[in-house]
Amino acid sequence: MNGVVEAAGVSKWYGEVLGLNAFTASFGKGITGLVGPNGAGKSTLFKLLIGQLHSDQGKITLLGENPWNNVPLKRRLGYCPEQNQLYGWLTGQQFVETLLRLDGMPATNARNEATAALKVVGLSDAAQRPTRGYSRGMRQRAKLAQALAHDPEILILDEPLSGADPAARVHILQTISDFAKDGGHVLMSTHVLYEIERVTNNIVLIHNGKAIAAGNIHAIRALIDTHPHAVRIETSKPRQLAQALARMEHVVSFEFPAADTLLVRTRKPDAFYKELPQIVSDTRLDVRGLESPDDSLDAVFRYLVG
Amino acid sequence: MDWTGSFRKAWVVTGLTLRYLLTTRRAIATGLLALVPLILTLSLAAARVVTFDTILFQNLMIPLFLQVVLIFVTLVNATALIREEIDDNTLPFLLTRPISKPALVAYKYIGYLVAVLVVLIPPVIVAYGVTEAYGGLAFTTDLDVLWGFLAATILGSAAYGALFLFISVLVRRPLAAGLLIGFVWESVVDSIPGDVPKLSVIHYLKTILKDVIAINPLGQYRTDVSAGVAAGILVAVSIALVILAAFVFQQMEFRQKAG
Repeated sequence: MNGVVEAAGVSKWYGEVLGLNAFTASFGKGITGLVGPNGAGKSTLFKLLIGQLHSDQGKITLLGENPWNNVPLKRRLGYCPEQNQLYGWLTGQQFVETLLRLDGMPATNARNEATAALKVVGLSDAAQRPTRGYSRGMRQRAKLAQALAHDPEILILDEPLSGADPAARVHILQTISDFAKDGGHVLMSTHVLYEIERVTNNIVLIHNGKAIAAGNIHAIRALIDTHPHAVRIETSKPRQLAQALARMEHVVSFEFPAADTLLVRTRKPDAFYKELPQIVSDTRLDVRGLESPDDSLDAVFRYLVG
Repeated sequence: MDWTGSFRKAWVVTGLTLRYLLTTRRAIATGLLALVPLILTLSLAAARVVTFDTILFQNLMIPLFLQVVLIFVTLVNATALIREEIDDNTLPFLLTRPISKPALVAYKYIGYLVAVLVVLIPPVIVAYGVTEAYGGLAFTTDLDVLWGFLAATILGSAAYGALFLFISVLVRRPLAAGLLIGFVWESVVDSIPGDVPKLSVIHYLKTILKDVIAINPLGQYRTDVSAGVAAGILVAVSIALVILAAFVFQQMEFRQKAG
């Protein structure tokens, strides 16, 4: 047992519902992607790792220690929750600074470190604005800033790209990548495999509370490419955006589930995510957020688990 | 133990709590309610009520301030301390910092106490001042009345706050349970014979008023303890309830959303 995260037969029940089912895995150094559909057990695993839950069965360690009520361990980790609520009445600067001071950091140091962290995630311009006015992408970046500002050994990021606009995604992925290059470990969950591919080859697939596969992303991707991947785009002009995206050969279909939403299905998600920012920039269309409904991934998981 | 670090954390959590309790819409509602005694005394003065003196002041303040305003303000604020952080999903930001859960509860409670006293104390002082001024008396004439109500407000805020905080970590809907205890149990307990009234906060608050204020309307009130003992009991109960709340919170799991 010498991994960054070690889980051996970990189970967690929510009443009658099984959140994790004898989950066994070992996550090594660098960036590990935890991929699975909603309800697979990703957030449950993360909450066990940050000591917010304790396991009903099995053993779990983070950096070699039991995380439940382990106060010193919290100095070594940075956590970015999935939920987007922040302390809305605080500015971005105050938000990060306040949390840094809970690490026991003097006020001046906390101010400087918060400023630096917000710069890293590209939020310097909005640092003095109350976070209640932040977009989802900005909230994701503010959460990331507070997670990495105290220079932790490991970042635990629960769906850090969910709802972020293309620019925010680029910034977040770059930040994660730089953190790992500097020797940090990252554990990042997503239900969109293609998001994680940009920063790591090392993934763990989780489904129904169990680790069903672990290892190189490319082998798993080959299976998934046969299933069209859905992307939901929030935009004020969904029809114009659909026209612009129609030139992509790999796009299979469009749907308009709401007045400000476009649902695209593509057979080459990696190419889609790569080309989208350029198309948005060229057409000057307003894209407020991107999300991948996990029905496409769910189909893959059903295929994988038979 | 790193006292400097602990002090910094206490300062930050207390400040965050104070800001939360005093800058949201809740503060406007509780602030307006806390002004009721002042509005009432100003109304009596404006209406030139002949019998308006410190006895009438006490007759109004005991049922209105101690048994309604104090309970409501402490209930709304104390139940928000932990439960609203859970409901708002902001608790993980605090729980992933190197600060123990019991310390978090204690620091939040201190923030709560400062916040409610900021809201409750000034109207009591001003209402007392208006009463004395109306009678043409100096501010210091009936200081025992002022001290009695200040002591009852401070100790009542501490005890009710600790009780409602404890309830908030025990149950998911603390407001309903708190309303039941605050407005039903605390109201009827006086009419129950024997030592049962000793199981309420209001009993000790009335004891303090009866013992501290020379001329008061509580002459017939049944109590066998002094103001000092009553104050000691309220402080001890407050500390015990905060410790219990911290213990329960230490064992709590935070699921929010199972992913």
